Amino acid sequence: MSAMRVDAKVVMLGKESVGKTSLVERYVHHRFLVGPYQNTIGAAFVAKPIQVGEKVITLGIWDTAGSERYEAMSRIYYRGARAAIVCYDLTDSSSFQRARFWVKELQNCEEFCKIYLCGTKNDLIMADRSVRQIDYHDAQDFAEEIGARHFETSSKTGSNVDELFQAIAEDYNDTAFQYMTEDTGVDLGQRKDSYFYSCCHNN
Amino acid sequence: MSQRTERRGIHVDQSDLLCKKGCGYYGNAAWQGLCSKCWREEYQRVRQKQIQDDWALAEKLQREEEAAYASSHGTQTQPHSQASAPQQQPGHASLGPFSKFEEKKTNEKTRKVTTVKKFFSPSSRTASKKENQEGKTPSPSTSRRASFDTDQVSRDFVDFLKNLQKPGRDIHKQCRAFIVNMSSKKDLSADELSECVQDFYQGMADRLMSHFKGSSEPVEQVMDQVEKYIMTRLYKSVFCPETTDDEKKDLATQNRIRALHWVTIQMLCVSFDEEIPEVSENVVKAITDIIEMDSKRVPRDKLGCITRCSKHIFSAIRITKNEPASADDFLPALIYIVLKANPPRLQSNIQYITRFCNPSRLMTGEDGYYFTNLCCAAAFIEKLDAQSLNLSPEEFERYMSGQASPRFGGSEGDWSGGGPAGGAGAANPALAQLNHNLELLSSLGSRQEAVAEAARGLQADLLSWTQSVEREVHGILEKYPLEVLSCTVSAIDANNMDNDNLPPPLTPQVFAG
Repeated sequence: MSAMRVDAKVVMLGKESVGKTSLVERYVHHRFLVGPYQNTIGAAFVAKPIQVGEKVITLGIWDTAGSERYEAMSRIYYRGARAAIVCYDLTDSSSFQRARFWVKELQNCEEFCKIYLCGTKNDLIMADRSVRQIDYHDAQDFAEEIGARHFETSSKTGSNVDELFQAIAEDYNDTAFQYMTEDTGVDLGQRKDSYFYSCCHNN
Repeated sequence: MSQRTERRGIHVDQSDLLCKKGCGYYGNAAWQGLCSKCWREEYQRVRQKQIQDDWALAEKLQREEEAAYASSHGTQTQPHSQASAPQQQPGHASLGPFSKFEEKKTNEKTRKVTTVKKFFSPSSRTASKKENQEGKTPSPSTSRRASFDTDQVSRDFVDFLKNLQKPGRDIHKQCRAFIVNMSSKKDLSADELSECVQDFYQGMADRLMSHFKGSSEPVEQVMDQVEKYIMTRLYKSVFCPETTDDEKKDLATQNRIRALHWVTIQMLCVSFDEEIPEVSENVVKAITDIIEMDSKRVPRDKLGCITRCSKHIFSAIRITKNEPASADDFLPALIYIVLKANPPRLQSNIQYITRFCNPSRLMTGEDGYYFTNLCCAAAFIEKLDAQSLNLSPEEFERYMSGQASPRFGGSEGDWSGGGPAGGAGAANPALAQLNHNLELLSSLGSRQEAVAEAARGLQADLLSWTQSVEREVHGILEKYPLEVLSCTVSAIDANNMDNDNLPPPLTPQVFAG
């Protein structure tokens, strides 16, 4: 059993087979950071330390089941998440519709959760531009509208994958730092955690 | 009770003092007005009857459950003696070596224990009140053990705090004060209790944080110990408290899972291939772990059970698929395990962990992830309908009401396309195993018959052989009767036939001389 400390919870959301798991797989196996990372037998939960400046931030990456039959339960998953990677398949417009659904859900339920919009399977676009169904600018506009950051990644080539997670870690670090400067030690913890635990009650 | 109030009066009738059985000795109120001898007899009789009743009830329930199970599995009408023996354990897809068989047996035993426990658990109101009391009779020993456990935990806690010196003493004092404080708040609702405990955690963590100057590692260590100490002490009063309807929910979930016993791997799209012994082994371990959760007291230990269970599930999936499992594989598998295990007091445990676990662990860490999945599984099972199993509503209804069973419904095509593991054969592996065993049994039966036949033949042969030998001997005897010739003792040549032909014996000639 690992008692590894995790700083922030990151959930992966998105339709089935958009490549949530591959994204995590790609990121974790292509690691260049030395840390107390132990080989997990599944890719469903990964604790990944990331170097940000002089600090090491550990992200707990939660994979979720994308099948629609578990949709009703998804709220249980992203409760208390600090970041959500909402994935859509660049070659599948229906997956983008689903992404919009997740974004709305997150905005309604988790105001503290930062959203990262992630278009996957970019390598397919590189090979053949005609398969693209989601325009880059459309997605970018949508991201700006909801105040999210937008990435287009390929788990096959690894392009933009590290950048995505690095951005999450940095953003988390910045917001945590903001809290720090706003209040002094003890109070901040209380505010932050009382929020956490108020979530436990909405069961 | 009424007797005692009578006895309050000063005047006591002499007849009141005598043994109620009328044996002439004096009775005693403590023995319900009987004398010691009669009381002992009476007590023994009642007790014996009680024990027998309990056994009968347990057996009856067991039989009913098996009957329900057998009928749900349809058709196979087994002789009763057989039906009671193989209390079917899901997930045993393979004929393992003998040692494994033993292991399965013990596993079955533990399962049986849990079912028996279920009868005694307060949730089964159907059992008579007496039954409940009977269930509680061993309580002196268990409570003694429990208090031993808490003592042990307290000692560990003190030892741990000794290393911290002055703040350690401080922590101990606060924890003690908190526990005393909590014991006076028994009437609070569960949420309020939870709030108290969480506030205490929070305050403690803050103080520790400032003491350790912001380094979180030692803080978490101390917090783990604090949680362990406090929750072991408070467990009895805050687990499944009477102010909540946790117990009702437990019962509902338990019944729900029982009603869903027909759900197959294929319907849930679980990627287990239980034909592989390693996989079925992991499945069994996962089931054991999730059942074990109920026996732990500290929220963290309960989480540990869930995590172990999840790891076994991951192993099973990895062995089946030859690649690491994703959440798309994991969640259905966990649902399947929960359905198979029917863990005792599932809702109470989930509520307990949610209310009293250190929140930072629950929200972020690996344990938290698996716990969240378990919550999802429980929610899924609660809301499960035809659509979530890719069935038509009619089929779902029929399976739920027990009118049809997916295993023998003859409608196997309906879901075989649904699962990735569908290729392994539409029938449930456990069922395949059952069929296989039945075939083996019947072939064994026929072989045994053949052996018996041959044995009978041999016996007949032996009989006829002796007879024929006898006959032969008789024949020979008849053919050559034993003639005892009368043997007349006579002169040496009395029967000499040729006497006449012989020359006359020489007669002595006398020569005158």
